[in-house]
Amino acid sequence: MKKKLLSVLLCTALIGTLAVGCGSDKKAEENKKEDAPKSDGKEITVMVPEWAVPSDEMLDAFTEESSINVVMNVVSWDDIRDKVAIAASGGAAAADVIEVDWSWVGEMNSAGWLEEIEMTDEDKADMPTLETFSIDGKVLAVPYANDYRIAYYNKEHFKQAGIEKAPETWDEVYDALKKIKDAGIVEYPYTMPMNADESATTSMMWMAYSRSGQVFNEDGTLNQDAVLDALTFEKKLVDEGFTDPALKTASGMDAYRKLTAGEASFMVGPTKFVGISSNEEECSVVGQIEAILLPGKDAASKKTMPLPEAVGVTKFSENKDAAKEFVKWYTSAETQKELYQANSSIPTRNSVLADLIDDGTIQNAGAMLDEAKLIQSPFPNGIPDYYSEMSNAIYNNVNKMVLGEASAQEAFDAMNKKVTELAGK
Amino acid sequence: MKTKGGKVLYFIVVVIFLIFTAGPFIWAFSVSVTPEFEMFKNTMSMLPSKLNWDNYVTLFTASSRQNKILFQGMFNSLKAVGITLLIGLPVALMSAYSLARLEFKGKKLIKNAILITMVIPVFATVIPLYRIFVSYQLLDKMFWLSLVYASSFLPMSIWLMINYFSTIPVEIEEAARVDGCGRIRTFFEILMPIAYPVVISSALIMFLSAWNQFQIPLILASSFQTKPVSIVTSEFMVKDSIQYGITAAAGLLAIVPPAATALILRKYLVSGMTRGTGK
Amino acid sequence: MKKKHKGALGIALLLPIIIIMAVLVYYPIIKTFSYSLQKMKLTAPQDTGFVGLANYRSVLESDSFWYSLQNTLFLLVVVVLFTTVFGICVALMLNVDTKISGLLMAAAVLPWALPPVVNGIIWRFIFYPGYGFMNKLLIGLGVIDQPIEWMSHRFLLLFVVAVVVAWRSIPFTAIVCLAGLRAIPHEFYEAARIDGAGRWSSFRYITGPLMLPFIGIGITSASITAINIFDEIVALAGYSDLGKNLLIESYLTTFSFLDFGKGSALTYIIMLISAILGFFYLRNLTREVEY
Repeated sequence: MKKKLLSVLLCTALIGTLAVGCGSDKKAEENKKEDAPKSDGKEITVMVPEWAVPSDEMLDAFTEESSINVVMNVVSWDDIRDKVAIAASGGAAAADVIEVDWSWVGEMNSAGWLEEIEMTDEDKADMPTLETFSIDGKVLAVPYANDYRIAYYNKEHFKQAGIEKAPETWDEVYDALKKIKDAGIVEYPYTMPMNADESATTSMMWMAYSRSGQVFNEDGTLNQDAVLDALTFEKKLVDEGFTDPALKTASGMDAYRKLTAGEASFMVGPTKFVGISSNEEECSVVGQIEAILLPGKDAASKKTMPLPEAVGVTKFSENKDAAKEFVKWYTSAETQKELYQANSSIPTRNSVLADLIDDGTIQNAGAMLDEAKLIQSPFPNGIPDYYSEMSNAIYNNVNKMVLGEASAQEAFDAMNKKVTELAGK
Repeated sequence: MKTKGGKVLYFIVVVIFLIFTAGPFIWAFSVSVTPEFEMFKNTMSMLPSKLNWDNYVTLFTASSRQNKILFQGMFNSLKAVGITLLIGLPVALMSAYSLARLEFKGKKLIKNAILITMVIPVFATVIPLYRIFVSYQLLDKMFWLSLVYASSFLPMSIWLMINYFSTIPVEIEEAARVDGCGRIRTFFEILMPIAYPVVISSALIMFLSAWNQFQIPLILASSFQTKPVSIVTSEFMVKDSIQYGITAAAGLLAIVPPAATALILRKYLVSGMTRGTGK
Repeated sequence: MKKKHKGALGIALLLPIIIIMAVLVYYPIIKTFSYSLQKMKLTAPQDTGFVGLANYRSVLESDSFWYSLQNTLFLLVVVVLFTTVFGICVALMLNVDTKISGLLMAAAVLPWALPPVVNGIIWRFIFYPGYGFMNKLLIGLGVIDQPIEWMSHRFLLLFVVAVVVAWRSIPFTAIVCLAGLRAIPHEFYEAARIDGAGRWSSFRYITGPLMLPFIGIGITSASITAINIFDEIVALAGYSDLGKNLLIESYLTTFSFLDFGKGSALTYIIMLISAILGFFYLRNLTREVEY
């Protein structure tokens, strides 16, 4: 009896299926029809990662002002590039406005996926990171979230080791780390991303940039003196036991967290750690960490490397004007202020950054604003279109070196061979 | 298991098995209640200094963004599973019946052509699929996404059903047909009451496989209304913002629906694969 | 006359699956094959065209292809071995009828419900290079005194990946094997007992041989899983050179380096390797068991 009942139930379900299957499809289409003509204006889609999403109020205000409807497509950062690539290879737009990371701009330009955006000279002066997104004088994307490398140290640890002054050069950093380690204040006083991923590439680059003021030669190849010096120094810090061995295979973020967990005393890291290091929920040593200028060889480094994120308009978009209007609004001074409130993304306009620090919205800023004025791209000819392949070669060889499988010279030779080949020299 | 030695052996095996199966889930739970700054700190204590339920509170607070994302993701996954089953089961039954019970030219070729697709990696189809979806504007549409899921699980279900059908004596159906039953009535009234375990076990396998999909929806679905929970969970862990605690919490919550279904239907899983009417 | 009618019905019932497979599987793989014969680097949109087998040649000539192939094969062997051995063990355990067998069955199915991505993330917590669970456990038990860096040696890393993947794929094999065990008629064992066979010899001469086809299904399904490992490697070791298998190599080439032509060629090579396994798979699937 039970069996019969079950089979009857199953059959009803099965017979109903085809009808429902087709029905649900129709319903989906009807929904779409209802949604579409919400405003009589245009509709654009915006594909950005979670941390770039403006609040609903902000979007409503924009729609009211411009009568452009905005559909947000929130996609994880790593996947946006895949989607844009697949779409563009078929001549379609993944979205009208897309996230453009600083490292993607070269390839996206060569592939012809980005539309030029007009910016005033005023904007250009206020947004130093705009330089990163300009190729051959054309602005291809407008940065909305700032990130540049800045140094952090734990005042308490330094004080316990008898050091009162913040370090200004890498030699001073090295001496201080040695004292802290020898005094047993922390076991691994230095922290830095070394895992085989993008963060190890940028770490090598800022290390060379801050120590030698240069990473690449004019023709795009690696500058041997600068890079080899950076690798040698990095290896020295690792070999002398200044860094936690776990960092060789932990993510970049885990490396930075060593500082906010009170397990490391010094690091060079993302700007947003200014905020994190004064947040009780994320940091166990609130009040001990201070942001200072990036150290250099003889004095504090005169340059720092930008790693901003931008939004751009795709070539295949059918609503380019509306998309450009959105980009303008999204990167305007007022929106940047509101975005900081909503997502704590650090403004790319120095004027906004100064305002936020002045009125106390950004606390514990330390050298944040001074460092922002030193932003300069390490790439002499803009980001190359082979960046991801180059980065892959760099981080894998950095990682091999810290794992002890290669010397600094061997690591340099291997990455240099690949980069030279890519640069076509 | 009558001997004492047998009992001891059984006990040992069970304990090891439970440790290995449940261990990862328990550890994931422990991670989910650890405060972010204590995560992977260099200490030997297995448990966090204080239990931190914030991650669960966030996920269950109706107004939080994470709550909306996670539960919409779960809902999307369930919807995709539902449509996949609605398409997959009838098609699988029709195909399996045809391949197991009817004779015609080219049957073997078709059967092999269907079964061999089990070995095709996703990357081999995903770029052209995307292009098809773009040209017919099918992106972010649940029905078509589910149809792609169905296409990758159908071979397995068809094969299970063929096996099951082929162990049911044809004579039973023939007798019914002699009594004047049509083919369709025979199918529903004679075959289905015997074959329902395999239908349920195929349904369960489809459920689990659809729930676990990652690469296909990654490319074919990006809107809030279509993104499945597997993608949502991984998005808590990206680039500069790895939040281990909330990722673990979301991951644990995300397995509740498939785990519950699997637990309820588990006995059919085995009987669906055990062939025929034997017992 | 009747036979013809039957044939038409057979084809008619197969029509939906034929259409689905043709459009969603066969058309795309043919298309991908055509990409693999073209120069198609997205950063050089002007420089495209038919290049014959050049992409295949450049794949086969690169060191990283052979390195990734080795990793894929290593994973294949270890995953299949673990899945099969432990799958059979779990099946034998589940086949014992006790008060707790319902609970055990429930526990056995659980890992199956875990999406590979989530699986990778959870195991990342366990094999975290610093003070993750496994290191804490081993230090606590006094086996080691410094944390092991699980991800820093090629074969240790691959071994960990294999364990993690096996853990997720054991349930399927266990259930298939359990189904196989349950299908063996009781009379066989009784007959053997009457003939005076011990427990071992009845396992050796009855259980083993009758289970073989089921184990074969388990092995082939584990092989397909092993060749298609992706999410777990990414969660545990990222896209590093150390642990990359063919699928990661293909992903990097296609999506990171934007070389769709070469990436498609790589995918096709992976498919060919799978197809060789698939051949054995098919033979297994279509073979009938006689009792």
